[in-house]
Amino acid sequence: MEFFGKTSIDFLGKRRLFLVVSVVLNVIGLVLLIFGGLRLGIDFLGGTEVALRFSAELHTDALRSAVAAAGFPNAEIKSYGKANEFLIRVPEIGGQGEQAASFRIVSGLKKAFPNETITVLKEDRIGPKIGSELRTKAFVAVLLAIVAILLYIAFRFEFIYGLGAVVALVHDVFVALTFVLIGQKLEILNLEFNQGVLAALLTVVGFSINDTVIIFDRIRENRDKHKGMALVPLMNLSINETLSRTINTVLTVVLVLATLLALGGEVLHGFSFTMLVGIITGTYSSIYIASAFVVWYTERIKKEPVESAEPRQPKILRALKEA
Amino acid sequence: MKGKVGKVLTIVIPIVLAIFLLYPTWRAQQMAAERASLDSAAQVQWDQVNGEDFRKEKLRALKLGLDLRGGMYVTLEVDVVRLLEEAADRAAIDETFERVIEETRRQADRSDEEVLDIFLRNFDQIARPQGKSLVTYYELVDVRDISEERIIERLKRDINEAVDQALQVIRQRIDKFGVTEPTIQKQGTRRILLELPGVQDEREMRQLLQTTARLEFKLLRHGTDVLYAFLNIDRFLAGKGVPAADTARSADTAHSGDTTARATSDTASKDPYAGLSDEEKAAKFRREHPFLSLFAGQVLIGERYQPFDIAESVIPKLPADAEYYFLTNEDGKRQLHAILARPEIRRMLPADVEIAFSAKPERGSENAPSRTYAMYVLKRDPELTGDVVTDAYATFDQMTNRPMVLMYMNSEGAERWAKITGANIGKRIAIVLDGEVYSAPVVRSKITGGSSQIEGMANVEEAKLLQIVLKAGALKAPVKIIEERVVGPSLGEDSIRSGISAALIAFALVVLFMVTYYSMGGVVAVLAMLINVMLNLGILAGFGGTLSLPGIAGIILTLAIAVDANIIIFERIREELHRGRSVRASVDEGFRHALPPIIDSHVTTFLTGLILFVLGYGPIQGFATTLMIGILTTLFTSIIVSRAIIDLWLARSPSARLSFGEVLPAPQS
Repeated sequence: MEFFGKTSIDFLGKRRLFLVVSVVLNVIGLVLLIFGGLRLGIDFLGGTEVALRFSAELHTDALRSAVAAAGFPNAEIKSYGKANEFLIRVPEIGGQGEQAASFRIVSGLKKAFPNETITVLKEDRIGPKIGSELRTKAFVAVLLAIVAILLYIAFRFEFIYGLGAVVALVHDVFVALTFVLIGQKLEILNLEFNQGVLAALLTVVGFSINDTVIIFDRIRENRDKHKGMALVPLMNLSINETLSRTINTVLTVVLVLATLLALGGEVLHGFSFTMLVGIITGTYSSIYIASAFVVWYTERIKKEPVESAEPRQPKILRALKEA
Repeated sequence: MKGKVGKVLTIVIPIVLAIFLLYPTWRAQQMAAERASLDSAAQVQWDQVNGEDFRKEKLRALKLGLDLRGGMYVTLEVDVVRLLEEAADRAAIDETFERVIEETRRQADRSDEEVLDIFLRNFDQIARPQGKSLVTYYELVDVRDISEERIIERLKRDINEAVDQALQVIRQRIDKFGVTEPTIQKQGTRRILLELPGVQDEREMRQLLQTTARLEFKLLRHGTDVLYAFLNIDRFLAGKGVPAADTARSADTAHSGDTTARATSDTASKDPYAGLSDEEKAAKFRREHPFLSLFAGQVLIGERYQPFDIAESVIPKLPADAEYYFLTNEDGKRQLHAILARPEIRRMLPADVEIAFSAKPERGSENAPSRTYAMYVLKRDPELTGDVVTDAYATFDQMTNRPMVLMYMNSEGAERWAKITGANIGKRIAIVLDGEVYSAPVVRSKITGGSSQIEGMANVEEAKLLQIVLKAGALKAPVKIIEERVVGPSLGEDSIRSGISAALIAFALVVLFMVTYYSMGGVVAVLAMLINVMLNLGILAGFGGTLSLPGIAGIILTLAIAVDANIIIFERIREELHRGRSVRASVDEGFRHALPPIIDSHVTTFLTGLILFVLGYGPIQGFATTLMIGILTTLFTSIIVSRAIIDLWLARSPSARLSFGEVLPAPQS
């Protein structure tokens, strides 16, 4: 089976339009970040989080008042997958044993709903020091990953290509975050910035670079093959040649991630959602950020012509045919 | 032909390796299922036969993370502020000192600075202007050499050793609690990570982790009355097992006690055992002596311990104040614990008696198939408690160059210690931490001045352990829980179910796509992928790694990467086919050109995995581990193994073909 024969789409011709798209997305992300703030997961925030299963379905309001009666009026209460499963989070940790916040919540609920069997699914108590430690580590991890990749690409290709790849990476991480923020705002999923989302972001970093490298690699190969071809047609040719690989790979990965998102359970939600967004932007950015960046640099900074002196190849072919 | 053999090996070796590495996992699962199907009595028997094998297989099997099987994950940190507070001389503590401590605690909570530095700074600011110095609050063992530097040195040492102390105490308690396969790890210099699978009552656990240890010195209790009590307990337990009317049997039971009280099958064969095989004899003995069959006696005669039978005919022949102890094995220790905890059994023992077991296996049996433990009969009331111990050092005897431990006591303790040792020369005093005996040295002479020398350690490790134990009594190693995660067993099951079903469905979808789109090429890719997953899990098991839910996510991701690698190769092969090359030439070219981008992408992904592994922890590390292993296996399977499969296929005959799903000639879009 073949979906695509030889294509000759002028991808980079629309680079300015997509630059606008990217900028708009990033501005939305920035606005949401500044005015809404990123909702951090318990890993980075510290506090107590308890996931409970009740024997019968329950309304959140009833639960909220019971938790408030137990001494936690500011508790955050969310559904945890099913209608009888809930996640309760409070910023306190409390003391030991009977003093512990988790103990007070559970015993308070048992008193409030004496006819229900309450099963503790999960219980996390993270001290404030661990939370801030993890925040620092997460930031360092993303930064280190980016630096390591910049060095590797710069070593394998030219420095400017490495820079282009890294700009694309930062773009991808940011866009993925933007979608996490949008998801939080719209409350489609229980999205919060936890360790799973962090892992996903780092994997996006890896995957995005993967996609960029494959196109760059083809550019390098074609540059030797078609000496004298200008940059934009060269890049277009390479993107077209790798297009069916790009689409097939993205398709399979999206298949896998969509399955994880739908069936992988609550624990993997943040991870699969972030990955899903990241994979798609990673593919997009290989063309419209990484390659476009190299074009921009060559055109504006090095002042070299990027469009071919002779008209673009597809046009010649068509002109010949018409003749 | 030679190349062919090599290619077959390229395919076969990874499969064999994966099967070899995963076999213990499969075997352990089979054995666990077999054991679970037995009733509890049969399980005990099963354990005796298969216990060792089962333990070995489990050790090499792939372990499941807490998120998949439920349990508790705890990070503990040494509470240095409390340690500084407790290390101070209680009599000297005043308001000024309390203010220093309070201020230190407040600042330490929000700073990453060393707590000792914060303490010293606060001390300078608050206590010094009032004319106090560290010497006011802290005592040293060596009174001649008291100085501030010495005290700071000592505090530093206490802080550094606190983690080991806490580790020891916690390990012992968790063993006692009966947690199966706990992971107890030191992280850095201040922290302890605990993974406790299957722990349900996490509140009780928390209490266990945070109360401080109790160190006691208890004399071994002599006298044969305890031995008679043992006979009674044995009769009581056996009587419960047989019908009440069967008096002949119980008389017989008392009689057959003469034969042997050894836990293991003995060759001694008197009347009731005549005509039975060794195994039957052992079983009969176990049945008739549910208590005495669990341990074997050792009595001190002259200078040496000799085995003796705990039997009505033997006991009167022993000296009235005989010194003895008993040997049992791991299983016996567990059963004895359970039996002796029953109140009606407790009542059958003299009131001033406490039965305690050695914490560590007896020397020489650590690696034996069945480790032996000592069971001691102690005087219930301690002669002395550990709070009089001020310090302990593991060191070497300068004369003999043997390891030994020096123990120091405060003046009050030293006085009482002198009395105790003076009155009990030649007797043994057990060093008991939280109810477990770590050493039971013989008192050689009256010890005055509070510094004792304990010898008889086989190696430095043993001496070091005793030092830690003694210090646990001297200085509490306060720990606080800074992180705690509990996964309920039902969530674990749910996670397994959803994780596995998601993985299977994802795999099926990918297979469907690859085979439809790339035809036979797709089949090759799927084969390589299967080998890939097996290798990944096998290597994880081989390294003693743990499979968690993020780990499964990591494997799924590497599958996606593996598919990508194959897509890159196949697309390239198709391109070459479109150019009109032969299948063989296209395969060659395709692999050659696809290699650089595949390597580049794998290196970058591996780098991210490495960074995650180093910086992440817990769940993230699980993800990074399978990702890194996966990257390596993917590189191998998608390039080398799938190439070998394709080459072998094409080598069948010169006209062999292999479809990559290409449509020739290419339609123009």
